[in-house]
Amino acid sequence: MQLRVLFFGATADIVGDREIRLAVPAERPVSAILHLLLMEHPILSRSKLLFALNQKYVTGDEIICDGDELAIFTAVSGG
Amino acid sequence: MDFAELTTEPLDITSIARRVVPPECGATVTLDGYVRKFTKERETLYLVYEAYEPMAFKEMQKLIDEAKKQFEILNVGIVHRLGKLEIGETSVVISVAAPHRKAAFAACEWLIRELKRTVPIWKKEVYADGEEWIEGENL
Repeated sequence: MQLRVLFFGATADIVGDREIRLAVPAERPVSAILHLLLMEHPILSRSKLLFALNQKYVTGDEIICDGDELAIFTAVSGG
Repeated sequence: MDFAELTTEPLDITSIARRVVPPECGATVTLDGYVRKFTKERETLYLVYEAYEPMAFKEMQKLIDEAKKQFEILNVGIVHRLGKLEIGETSVVISVAAPHRKAAFAACEWLIRELKRTVPIWKKEVYADGEEWIEGENL
């Protein structure tokens, strides 16, 4: 199944992309996607990361569905 | 009326503050957040803000809904600027209209605190000798 992964700010700089598409096996949790990305971009582990699945904050245990939008970013700093 | 907006244009604080005013209210508290030149000793040249826009709108709307439950207020407007901002330029305006000022002050303080914690917007500080994306408080 297909998943869109979005990056912003520091994570976009580390990954070198703002959006990637991943083909992943079904029934995987968010944390498994993160694990894949950390293997490719170990520097991501230097920051505490937040996740949003379909534009809602999640913790990592949620199961990904086909066509989902997962965003991975560092603690927000607006204002 | 309530509103939550993102824009790359300069913010007009007065017009934002007037948009929240209904006849039932007696006070509007407006926060004008702007770009600071010195953070501790380090000198900032300018800032760049970016947002996860669709989620930022949802999170700002949630804050407005929650503030209206928690405080005796009528209208809330939040406008955050994105893109490059020079020193002294306004990055965020939060206006809260209430029948009485006390609730408006409390709600405005609560809204900026929660915005900085939950709304997916990031700030990059560009210094004379480098740049960095700022990480806020953890959620």
